[in-house]
Amino acid sequence: MSVRPEDYASRVEIAWCPGCGNRPILEAVKAALVALDLAPQRVVICSGIGQAPKLPHYLRVNTFNGLHGRELVSACAVKMAAPDLCVLVHAGDGGAYGEGGNHLLHAIRRNVDLTLVVHDNKTYALTKGQASPTSDAVEGTRVTVLGAAAAPLNPLALAISQGCSFVARTSSALPEHLQEMIQAAVRHRGFSLLHVLQPCVVWDRVHTYAYYRERCEPIGARHDPRDARAAFALALQDGERIPVGIFYTADRPVYDPSATSGLDRPSRELPVDPDRVRDRFSRFR
Amino acid sequence: MNPHQKNLRVRFAGAAGQGVQTAADLLGRAALRSGRFAYAYADAESRIRGGVNFSQVRVSSEPLMGVTQRCDLLVALSAEAQARCADSLAEHGSLIAARAAAHPRAAPFDLEQLAARAGSRAVASTVGLAVACALAGIERPICLGVVRERFASGGALAEKNAQAVLAGYEAVLGWIRQERYAVPARPEVASRHLWIAGHEAISLGAVAGGVRFVAGYPMSPATGILSDLSSWARDFGILVEQAEDEPAAINMLAGASYAGARAMTATSGGGFCLMCEGVSLLGMIECPAVVVLAQRPGPSTGQPTRTAQGDLRLALHAGHGFFPRVILAPRDVADGFELTARAFDIAERYGVTVFVLSDQLLQDSRAVVPPFDTAGLPRARHLLQPDQLKAMPRYQRYAQTASGVSPQAAPGSSRHVVVVDSDEHDEDGHLTESAEIAARMAQKRLRKAELIRNAKLLAAPEPEGDLDGRPLVLSWGSTYQTLAEARAVLMDRGGDFAHLHLRQLWPLPADRLKSAFERASSLAVVECNPNGELAGLLEQTTLTRIDHLLTRADGRPMHVDELTERIESEVLR
Repeated sequence: MSVRPEDYASRVEIAWCPGCGNRPILEAVKAALVALDLAPQRVVICSGIGQAPKLPHYLRVNTFNGLHGRELVSACAVKMAAPDLCVLVHAGDGGAYGEGGNHLLHAIRRNVDLTLVVHDNKTYALTKGQASPTSDAVEGTRVTVLGAAAAPLNPLALAISQGCSFVARTSSALPEHLQEMIQAAVRHRGFSLLHVLQPCVVWDRVHTYAYYRERCEPIGARHDPRDARAAFALALQDGERIPVGIFYTADRPVYDPSATSGLDRPSRELPVDPDRVRDRFSRFR
Repeated sequence: MNPHQKNLRVRFAGAAGQGVQTAADLLGRAALRSGRFAYAYADAESRIRGGVNFSQVRVSSEPLMGVTQRCDLLVALSAEAQARCADSLAEHGSLIAARAAAHPRAAPFDLEQLAARAGSRAVASTVGLAVACALAGIERPICLGVVRERFASGGALAEKNAQAVLAGYEAVLGWIRQERYAVPARPEVASRHLWIAGHEAISLGAVAGGVRFVAGYPMSPATGILSDLSSWARDFGILVEQAEDEPAAINMLAGASYAGARAMTATSGGGFCLMCEGVSLLGMIECPAVVVLAQRPGPSTGQPTRTAQGDLRLALHAGHGFFPRVILAPRDVADGFELTARAFDIAERYGVTVFVLSDQLLQDSRAVVPPFDTAGLPRARHLLQPDQLKAMPRYQRYAQTASGVSPQAAPGSSRHVVVVDSDEHDEDGHLTESAEIAARMAQKRLRKAELIRNAKLLAAPEPEGDLDGRPLVLSWGSTYQTLAEARAVLMDRGGDFAHLHLRQLWPLPADRLKSAFERASSLAVVECNPNGELAGLLEQTTLTRIDHLLTRADGRPMHVDELTERIESEVLR
């Protein structure tokens, strides 16, 4: 029996603002998981703290809503212990690139098979509009309580420079493209970074749905995602046009829990047998 | 031989990299194979080469695992080590020096010369090992055997080490009567017992407890556990991940535990401080976890390679907000195995974090111990099984129960979804703004704490000796063996007191302690920290004054002589 959208229906009331840029992401994730025929009990969504991380509560799905910035490491461990499950992470720009910046670097290295969806609204929305690692430094583009921001982080260039297994960008303003990218990221074997540009309808009057609809431009068919230099150039592209689509894919060894542990079953199924240690006693004689 | 002395105490001292710890390890192994007990502790500086490190080994006919300061044989591999350790030599002891020493107790040969004749000055520590083995009464083939095994892959070095053993045994022949230091053998020890380090016992305990996931960031003195489990990963089916930092380690542990893996981490004070937010997360989501906190002196970086018992109340109060927890502290190497194995069962049974408080002394000590008994260890998993879940019309991760424990299901084991949240949550695991639900959840965690307080996690602590009208001396963690031995010495001298050792530090058996305290004439606590971590906790929980606080806070372990004197002068006076 195939999976239906109703299978993901949650009873939890959505606490996002009306028109929030997270809403199209929620709908796209649900549609993508249904399209991929993944049942809710086979999927784990990990998240941290903020507005974006509330997402898994608005789906009926296995949920690990942990700590701010630490969602990605928890997700890696979920996938290691339960390699039979599909693991996604939903984090905001603060969690993924600020508090969790170090973890992102090492998740790229580790290359566990999971998908990180970063909801980037260039602001700390739930704490009322402070600057985020991706806030534009230009004055007057947005509200910041804490004054002028440092230079914004370029997460795509960073990820490509480190050989991240899958790097893509899309926007909340492009619902169909968004769903397509989520499906591609989930299908990809290895660590996938999906950067989603989304409006914040309360704290940012510049980066609106219209702003992104006008500027986002799908990457042309001539781009080869295996070409790191081309991908890097695309990620550094500055100007009115914002390229969206798959920037980069690398064919790298995917973390294989069985390789080091010899385990061929998820940890939840494994028994406890204290007598196993007896085999080891001879080494201590 | 001193009639009161039932053991040969050998100190190997030298620069880091000279083979001090290897010599101590091999002496213990040879002692075991020859039917003798042994105990070794390590004293090392935070460096890879140079300085002065030492390892002190006791070879005995009975188990003697107290820390001793004096040695009968000082094997000094450098002039600096000789100078630094000379005053540890007992009155009747002998100095085995790297080079001919103008010392009244020096042996008439020097290690470097013998080593050079064996093929390399680098094997001087092996000559010293052979001298110690010969004097203890360990047969040459046994010494040769352990040396050959250790250097089997060393090529030419293996042969030089073998030659070094022969040279050491030969040197002793022409020197003193071997009987002077010989330790009688106990053949039954050789066939059954183990020569094992504290960190190895804890690691093996984790395996016995069913560990499947380990994440950690290297930090002395906890690193041994990560190395052990990493090298055994394939044999026992364990996922071991070296995390990028401690927050990653503890949050990985939380993720793995949520997914149904028995999970642990091992760290020391500074690393643990970085984990505290994760400890609170584990408390909130009620996922089982085992955290080995191997203590070293603080504050801050403190003394990285040295020992302390300074973090009891850190473990007790780590993490914001209230949630139940359990703190266990192994009293010696063998206990490290048992308590760690039990920690995993307790953690999963109640959905709590269990802290195992170790320290540098315990981590790096080695002892000859009886083979670990696995028969009495728990072997059930406490996760809801697929057939149970199948029969449930609905699953709620935080279902309200009378006990406060909500049965844990792992995601993927049924059609139900499993939701956990670091926010205050409802029974389903979804974040809530409801005051009523928040109060209910706080009550649930409180009920669970009460359940754990009243549960029999370990055998109740029993005092050694009659405590009525006598002083009661309390201890915890790695000071146990040293205090037990000091007590035996004092009892021989007619000093009478009772000893109560606590292996479970939280929850404390407050009622039991109070009644014991009322019967005793005075109370003393022995611990390796400046401020009295346990003493303070006991005063707070039992509202009873601790009369004597016997502490040591220089990063070194307390030793038997020191403790004997201090109890005699401060507690028994």
